[in-house]
Amino acid sequence: MAQAAGPLWEEIVKRKQRSSKTVVMLVSLSLTLLLPLALGSNQYNMALATTVLMFAAVSTAWNIIGGIGRQLDLTAGAYLGLGAFTTGILLIRWNITPWLGMIVGGIVAAAFAALVGWPLFRFKVKEVWYALSSSALVEVLRVIFLMWDKIGGPVERYLPYYSFSLYHLRFSSYIPFYYLMLAMLLIALFVNYRIINVRLGYSLLALGEDEDAAEVLGVNAHACKMRALMIYAFLVGVIGGIYAYMYGFIHPNFFSVTMSIEVAILGIVGGIGITYGPLIAAVLLVSARELLRANLGGGMEGLYLVLYGTVLILIALFRPRGLATLLHRTSRRLTSH
Amino acid sequence: MGLQPILKVTNVSHRFGSLLAVNNVSLYIETGEMVGLIGPNGAGKTTLFNIITGLYKPHSGRVVFKGEDITGWLPHKICRLGMSRTFQVTRAFNEMTVEDAVRVGAYNKSKEETVRAKVDDIVAFCELTDIRTRKCGDLGLAQLRKVELARALATDPELLLLDEAGAGLNPTELAAFVRMVRRINTERRVTLCAVEHVMQMVMGLCQRIVVLDSGEEIATGTPPRDQQQSARD
Repeated sequence: MAQAAGPLWEEIVKRKQRSSKTVVMLVSLSLTLLLPLALGSNQYNMALATTVLMFAAVSTAWNIIGGIGRQLDLTAGAYLGLGAFTTGILLIRWNITPWLGMIVGGIVAAAFAALVGWPLFRFKVKEVWYALSSSALVEVLRVIFLMWDKIGGPVERYLPYYSFSLYHLRFSSYIPFYYLMLAMLLIALFVNYRIINVRLGYSLLALGEDEDAAEVLGVNAHACKMRALMIYAFLVGVIGGIYAYMYGFIHPNFFSVTMSIEVAILGIVGGIGITYGPLIAAVLLVSARELLRANLGGGMEGLYLVLYGTVLILIALFRPRGLATLLHRTSRRLTSH
Repeated sequence: MGLQPILKVTNVSHRFGSLLAVNNVSLYIETGEMVGLIGPNGAGKTTLFNIITGLYKPHSGRVVFKGEDITGWLPHKICRLGMSRTFQVTRAFNEMTVEDAVRVGAYNKSKEETVRAKVDDIVAFCELTDIRTRKCGDLGLAQLRKVELARALATDPELLLLDEAGAGLNPTELAAFVRMVRRINTERRVTLCAVEHVMQMVMGLCQRIVVLDSGEEIATGTPPRDQQQSARD
């Protein structure tokens, strides 16, 4: 009797946790869906909300290589830029719709990822060395695109202006981009969720723990890391396409090392390997940073960065395993018996 | 005897800088047998295992497994062909649960649809049912040794290499462990090769023993009957 009560109780608790998780997810999703109703009239606030969602989407995609795959990846800027340029140039030169361009941008980003990932993983470049080489690649791309007159160059290339054109993905409002970024965030979350439940996820987690041990259990380290990197690159490439149309121009500065580092910081601060960690970090930190910048930027330039840095240090001190563990703590307390 | 050699190592040498870790070693293992590999520290036993499983490339010599020359193959391909191993220092997947760690190995031969059944089978066989949802990082040594055995067994190996799998276990734990290893050989028909310092385990388990010293094979033979008998009791 007592033996049967244990697992049964655990099952009830588990179900409760699962259902409360679903409720939290549904509530936050509907709030996110309705947010434009509250902010819609203020384009500046909409732009902020869209930026938050974009960072959330990119860092959730980063979780695939950085969190599940445990590679300290700093290439987000490369894929974002490649996606933006591919999508932008396809429209400017050949009038190809960005809906198609986005996919092509994702493929170009994934192809580039394959090109750089192959030698990096082949020679087992890891940790800081991987981080350094990957961030260097972003800067190399930026310089190449600055000098490559036909495609890039130092002057912004503006996308054709329309106040409302679905074909050209140009709108006079941020609201459509808000929903596009939200869609990308949901896709990135879904892909994360899929991966951790199939062979690729288990293999990557094992590789992150002990590469030799995983390999003698039949895990193909090179193929797994390549697949994770390419999926991540594809997602960020597509997001890059949307990003370009949101701002209405493309410029080599889209290949940003700073942005790549920021994406990784969000992934780490959110909680390495926790699917919704980067999302939580992006919502809290990016909105905090943007609000600080908006409110303090005028009087005391740079002060927002000091505050932002302080917050990061505090998180590193008190929540070293990530912001997402704040939720773990409370949910465990609620269900403990 | 009618047994086929499942593994043939011929004249393998490996050096680290000027240190000759394995010197011209040859070894054969027949299908179904349990071989013990003994020798003092630094004799090259673990290096030999690393060469056989593909973690190191030998500087000379050949490794033939199931009639296939696997010298210089990558570890995951060798595993796919039917060989796995455990490690001397346990290499646990600390953040993963026991069943997830076993699942990593189970994917070697199982598809997505059948992997759960495979995990259940192995977890039950290795007596891990009551700790299956615990994190490997929270386990004690005896349990970790079992988990390592389980995840290697989950790959459906025909040859399993055990690198000091019994080290650090107390006599009770060791007896249980030896029983499990023997069941792997008899019930699962897995050929075993064990590097071991614990004589009780070697003598109790193995039908044939190879002795390595300073990277060279110095002796091979069967353990004395009476020792085998007493260890079994």
